[in-house]
Amino acid sequence: MENLTFILKKKTVTIFLVMIAVGVLSLAYGFLGGVEVKRVAANLLLNNYYFLSLGLIGLFFVTVHTIAESGWQTSVQRVGEAMSAYIPVGGGLLLLFFVLGGLHSIYPWTHSDHLDAILLKKVAYLNVPFFYVRLLVFIGVWSLLAHYVRKASVNLDLHGDMKYFNKMRTLSAIFIVTYAVTSVVSSWDWLMSLDPHWFSTLYGWYIFSSMLASGFAMLILVIYVLKRMGYLSHVNDEHMHDLGKYLFGFSIFWAYLWFSQYMLIWYANIPEETIYYLERHKYFTNIFYVNLILNFVIPFFLLMTRKSKRVFTVLVPVSVIVIIGHWVDLYMAIMPGAVGGEASGIGIVEIGLTIGYLGIFGLVTFWSLTKAPLAPKNHPYYKESMDYHTHY
Amino acid sequence: MYVSPLREPLIRGSKDYSQVTKDILAPMAGKPSKYWYMGITLSGAAALFGAWATFMTVYYGIGTWGLNKTVGWAWDITNFVWWVGIGHAGTFISAILLLFRQKWRTSINRSAEAMTLIAIACAGFFPLIHMGRLLLGFFILPYPNTRALWVNFNSPLLWDVFAITTYLLVSLVFWYIGLIPDLGTVRDKASNKIRKAIYGFLSFGWTGSAKHWSRHETVSLILAGLAAPLVLSVHTIVSFDFATSVIPGWHTTIFPPYFVSGAVFSGFAMVLTLLIVTRKALNLEEYITVGHIENMNKVIIITGSIVGIAYITEFFMAWYSGVEYEQYAFINRATGPYAWAYWIMMTCNVITPQLFWFKKIRTNLVATFIISIFVNIGMWFERFVIVVTSLHRDYLPSSWVMYKPTIVEIGLYVGTLGLFFTLFLLFIRVFPVIAIAEVKSVLKSSGDNKKDSHHE
Amino acid sequence: MNKYITAYYDDEEDLLRGLKQIKAKGIEVADVLTPFPVHGLDKALGMSRSKLTRVAFAGGAVGAIIGFGFQAWVFTQAYPLNFGGKPFFAVPSFIPVTFEMAVLFAAFSMVFAFLISNKIGPGAKTVIHDERITDDRFLLVVNVQDEENAHTIEAVLNDAGAHGITLIKKN
Repeated sequence: MENLTFILKKKTVTIFLVMIAVGVLSLAYGFLGGVEVKRVAANLLLNNYYFLSLGLIGLFFVTVHTIAESGWQTSVQRVGEAMSAYIPVGGGLLLLFFVLGGLHSIYPWTHSDHLDAILLKKVAYLNVPFFYVRLLVFIGVWSLLAHYVRKASVNLDLHGDMKYFNKMRTLSAIFIVTYAVTSVVSSWDWLMSLDPHWFSTLYGWYIFSSMLASGFAMLILVIYVLKRMGYLSHVNDEHMHDLGKYLFGFSIFWAYLWFSQYMLIWYANIPEETIYYLERHKYFTNIFYVNLILNFVIPFFLLMTRKSKRVFTVLVPVSVIVIIGHWVDLYMAIMPGAVGGEASGIGIVEIGLTIGYLGIFGLVTFWSLTKAPLAPKNHPYYKESMDYHTHY
Repeated sequence: MYVSPLREPLIRGSKDYSQVTKDILAPMAGKPSKYWYMGITLSGAAALFGAWATFMTVYYGIGTWGLNKTVGWAWDITNFVWWVGIGHAGTFISAILLLFRQKWRTSINRSAEAMTLIAIACAGFFPLIHMGRLLLGFFILPYPNTRALWVNFNSPLLWDVFAITTYLLVSLVFWYIGLIPDLGTVRDKASNKIRKAIYGFLSFGWTGSAKHWSRHETVSLILAGLAAPLVLSVHTIVSFDFATSVIPGWHTTIFPPYFVSGAVFSGFAMVLTLLIVTRKALNLEEYITVGHIENMNKVIIITGSIVGIAYITEFFMAWYSGVEYEQYAFINRATGPYAWAYWIMMTCNVITPQLFWFKKIRTNLVATFIISIFVNIGMWFERFVIVVTSLHRDYLPSSWVMYKPTIVEIGLYVGTLGLFFTLFLLFIRVFPVIAIAEVKSVLKSSGDNKKDSHHE
Repeated sequence: MNKYITAYYDDEEDLLRGLKQIKAKGIEVADVLTPFPVHGLDKALGMSRSKLTRVAFAGGAVGAIIGFGFQAWVFTQAYPLNFGGKPFFAVPSFIPVTFEMAVLFAAFSMVFAFLISNKIGPGAKTVIHDERITDDRFLLVVNVQDEENAHTIEAVLNDAGAHGITLIKKN
């Protein structure tokens, strides 16, 4: 008999609390240990952005499969929903970061007293009040939609009334359209404007692809942990195979967008564009290549075979590597513009803060798992997922 | 595998396997209808017009076109990109929908893939004809020569040669491998000796052996896995033709995925245009159901919306960049002498697909047919706007000119339309329009006599 | 003996059930022919996974190496030219052609391997046991050693619900 109720054990909570403590201590070290303020701020931005996005991808997973009328994902749907519970938390932490000085420490355009000619041209968009308006809209809309999608999903399971399924479909469509626009604009605001002289029309989609790959990697990891704990017994090789395919495909998609942006800027060789890559390649050379190896080379070669996508012995290590890899990708997006080559590095602040945020993310996700049965038995397509086997 | 009874059946009419064979082979038997003859006469006439235009171009030269020093590419490249884009839907349906295990693809993939092959042929015609000295066309291939010269691997135009060739060959092979078992069916049902011999040859001796089927499934899956990134790469490389340049409106990093979305968008529209007529004319409405049409319309909303977001992004980024040339490129598009083309593009591409949010419209065949035509018109204008408006006014105002097509250029385009429809009309007579074996394989699980297929 | 027995089913589920019975009685089934790929048939017949995927991978690797290597040779050894200030060893430029070559070689090597391993192709001479295999019949082929063997096999097939049990001489 399948165990449908998730019990959050004290031991698990303790582990997460320890991780959070590590994060807090690293933050303290950052402020008191003589680390460059910009570097601390940049790390806070990185982690805030990363984990908030992972939560959003959890919601994306649920909503896309809902409107695609697919059934196999229902066995793992609750994990996506649980990840999305982090959205209001992550949004709040991000807001706090900006308000408590993060915005002014690393975003050059916030210093309205000395804006150069280029920044003056953008001032109608890149100004603090409008930035906050957009920020509040993004976080507000995301949190509301996450809440209502989850509510409809839980109600569907409680009452079995198809009206809740239709609600989920409508809300899913609204979220996807909204997320398509807001994820792009938020990446311009929070990441691209760190290098305010630079611009790239592909940027929003490129960052999105990065979060997509790591989001699915996180989904796989959480499912693995749950299965190790004895839950999700109905999740079989077929489900993991599909998730593995996503991880493989999205990693290739990320590499494709990375290459498109890089090659086009390299090819046209226009100085105001190439400076972006010059800074990265010159002052962060090793990380530049490590980024490609972790996010493309490894998942491409290790997840190619059919078998590899069906066994945790490959899926888990590759997922971990991809999660680290996209952290590195965000590092490359943020550090050069925010901090520069001289003052940045990978040390206590980087590792400690990430552990801390992972702790918060884990705690929220696992807490959310206790709030609903692990399998949505009344979902109209659940039976397809329970009895899931395909030929290929 | 269990299939929820909530799902709409993919095959209606309570068919059994032999009925499926009969229904799909029926259009290939007997004499073609008078509509078929009317159709092929029209398309044939258009193709002849194209033949004349080709003769004029080859004999008299590119001077018979409206190109000038500033606008060096116009209808030729617009048409090239338009046709390649259309081809992408076939591969998307065959390969990507296979990877996503979407069973509804089984009744549309054969004709969509055939459409792809024909579209690629039409597309490939344009880079060839625009060379001017077509007889020296082989220069684009890297072969050892006495001049010790090699092709320029730095040029996206050359990457195109490899991309389009690979795409044509791999699509051909993918289509044909899928066709082999069905050709076996045609062979075994053939009434006369000649027909049996021809299809016997074409079917490569297919027996239906389990080991052969097992390998066939593996090959199909791997080809799908190869074709999926291939199709993305082809239109990406086509977009590189523009994006690797330095002129505003062309050099922008979003082009690769934006072009790919646009290609799938226009391709699905063309599939819809073709299949809405074909399903009626060939009595295949029980196989290509309204559900299939609706699913294709959903793809159109998604890809159309992605294209719309790309337009907004480009526009915003032009402002954000502060680059006055980039800004002017967009102002010129919307308000300059080609503004009419721009607004046709925006209306057709951004507004019309959004109508498919309404279920009533998505499931209405007449509305779908009309919208599909508008989408293709819009996508033609999108390429025209990108190519011509960016070229006719870039950095140097003294070089600004206007461009107008000549009857020869129009003839070439109309000719490819004629070629396309002629070949498609021939296809439906010579090959089974629906993948017979594939439809049979989903009949039990997804037909309207649905049963639980528990075999293990 | 140069004889074999064929029998058919009208439905793939009957086929799979019957096959189970037949195999349980120890009868070697030489081949099963169907109008479409039947899920579960591979396993029932004990077929191993196709090795065509390895051919595809090898083909792709070869294509990629040839593609990249050739471009690199042309631009660094054979005839280096300055194109818009790009380096001779222009890695980003080489990627598109390398990718296309990989896909082309992977696809074609696998397709040729497919045709060769199945022994089908233009002009191939194969045995069509029943013209309805490509329509709606699921056929079994069992090799026969001697007279007695033939009778046993026929009996087992009958019990397993097969139709049209026929003894055929190979020619």
